[in-house]
Amino acid sequence: MRRARGTRRHEIWLAYLLLSPALLLLLVVLAYPIAWEVWISLTDLSPLNEGGAAFVGLANYRQLLTDAQFWRAAAVTVAYGAVTTVAKLVLGVGFALLLVRPFRGRALVFLAIFLPWAYPAGVSVIGWYWSLNPPTATAYSVFLGTLKYAVDGPLGGGAWAFLSVTLFNIWRGSSFIGVFLLAGINAIPPELFEYALLESKSGWHRFWHVTVPLMRPFLALAAFLSLTTAFADLANVWMLTAGRIVFPVIGTHAYWLVIKAGQFGPASALSLTLVPFLLAVLLVLFRLFDAPEREAA
Amino acid sequence: MAQVLLKDLNKKYDEVHAVKDVNLHIRDKEFIVLVGPSGCGKSTTLRMVAGLEEITAGEIAIGDRVVNDLPPKDRDIAMVFQNYALYPHMTVYDNMAFGLKMRKFPKAEIQKRVQDAAEILGIQDLLKRKPRQLSGGQRQRVAVGRAIVRHPQVFLFDEPLSNLDAKLRVQMRVELKRLHDRLETTAIYVTHDQVEAMTLGDRVVVMKDGWIQQVGEPLELYTKPSNRFVAGFIGSPAMNFVDVGIQGGDSSLTAQGTGIRLAIPPVNASQLGPYKGQRVTLGIRPEDLHIAAGGDQAGYVFDAVVDVVEPLGSEILLDVKAGPNSLVARVEPTVRLKVHDGVRLAVNPDRLHFFDMTSEKAI
Repeated sequence: MRRARGTRRHEIWLAYLLLSPALLLLLVVLAYPIAWEVWISLTDLSPLNEGGAAFVGLANYRQLLTDAQFWRAAAVTVAYGAVTTVAKLVLGVGFALLLVRPFRGRALVFLAIFLPWAYPAGVSVIGWYWSLNPPTATAYSVFLGTLKYAVDGPLGGGAWAFLSVTLFNIWRGSSFIGVFLLAGINAIPPELFEYALLESKSGWHRFWHVTVPLMRPFLALAAFLSLTTAFADLANVWMLTAGRIVFPVIGTHAYWLVIKAGQFGPASALSLTLVPFLLAVLLVLFRLFDAPEREAA
Repeated sequence: MAQVLLKDLNKKYDEVHAVKDVNLHIRDKEFIVLVGPSGCGKSTTLRMVAGLEEITAGEIAIGDRVVNDLPPKDRDIAMVFQNYALYPHMTVYDNMAFGLKMRKFPKAEIQKRVQDAAEILGIQDLLKRKPRQLSGGQRQRVAVGRAIVRHPQVFLFDEPLSNLDAKLRVQMRVELKRLHDRLETTAIYVTHDQVEAMTLGDRVVVMKDGWIQQVGEPLELYTKPSNRFVAGFIGSPAMNFVDVGIQGGDSSLTAQGTGIRLAIPPVNASQLGPYKGQRVTLGIRPEDLHIAAGGDQAGYVFDAVVDVVEPLGSEILLDVKAGPNSLVARVEPTVRLKVHDGVRLAVNPDRLHFFDMTSEKAI
């Protein structure tokens, strides 16, 4: 009896020992930085200030709520995330459904669809930027210039730049989501689609009653990936607009605050405002991803 | 209810000719089984009837309508798949009602049909569950129920019992047979299991390499196989085959193989006459071999050595060697023999089969 207990205790210790590398990693790269950021958001830490950081309570957060620039950035971020996600899901589903059946030239179409994602983002961004803002005079320079003024005129300066960021995100992201959903569809037994074919002639009905529900877990995961990357997007926006931010997102706004203005505290508070929102999104999507089964009596 | 006509049916994929000149008249209310090894074209044929595969050449008629160009939904068929193809996001009720809902049946009618089918199959208590909460047998019933509610002209079954364990398969086989007796709907059933084919089919179609080998009632296939393939495919344990030469004078013929020599029974003599001096394949079913006794005629016995003894309780399967030939004999459970024992076996002279060596056709 005592020996059995000893073995059990030994096993528990061993379990913790084996877990410790993973726990340590999580502590160092996740828990510590988050805790540090939460702490900074409650101080006035800045390289511009003499001396150390002073605790200021929720002052940074209060300041945000009255900052018009913050609300503008938040609104743009939400719009950016929502518009790109919806567009990417629609296009991605279309791509996946197009590629799921064999046809002549399918490999080429697959390549064309997957290339935007497979190509390094940095190179794609520059290609995209130069396409819209040709570095030398090109045949379509005038046309693009006209387009830019047509967009910026009614919507304000920077609208064209923001539109190009949105389109870039959709172009590159729908490529990934298309291939991601294709893998999802391929994991579904084909008989489920064949049965629908036997029972309904309407492609639309089959799509809504069969394809979408069967793809739901994959759609939810794709939406989650899309939303989180859009909300945390700094690099693409920065590279495409070269920092001339007229339509700021939370990411670029925080970057301005911390790098250009040295305001560590408010910048930390700003990026933390995303957390509750992302958690809520995650919760909703997770339910869609794996809906709890209600046991029948 | 309807008859189904397959006329010169062909299916070609890029490289593969999967179904070749299939002609078949499936009668109204008939339960017909397509059986054959994998890749024989049986499933492809069924899927062409369903409309899930395009027809390369030929014609399919259900009732008196040619359905070649009709979409699957308008062919008035209902199909049961091997993996059941139940929708995981729908309850059993919704799964069963799906086809009727898509066809815009009134709610009350849908409810009545689903209830009726559930009652027939004994799944009334499962209607609110999701497929993942069901056992394999229950899912199978739901899949069948989903077909029943549609009151189709033809049921199509694509290996519906293959995913069940052996015991459940036997039970569901009986239930399907009972169901067909009750509903009397024309059914086309695909399986690779010859026992299923024999027990379920009013008629059985044996296929191989895209060709129909033989169509007939189960016992007809068993007793009068048209070629060596059907003879070997139908029946378990399979028929024994021995290469023999036909020899003899004017009055009597013998079949001479290595280590085995049998007289040709008078019933086979006239057909085998032209084969004198040639080699043919002799076929003997395991149950047509028995331990020789006093009553057996001298020409129909041969000596063998026991290789393996497989006692099955109700019978014993004796694997024996006669010269280089391996043969299986199905003998009484009371027989006491050990490996390497010598044994004298006798054949039933009126139940021998002979096949042409090149065409493999029955002689």
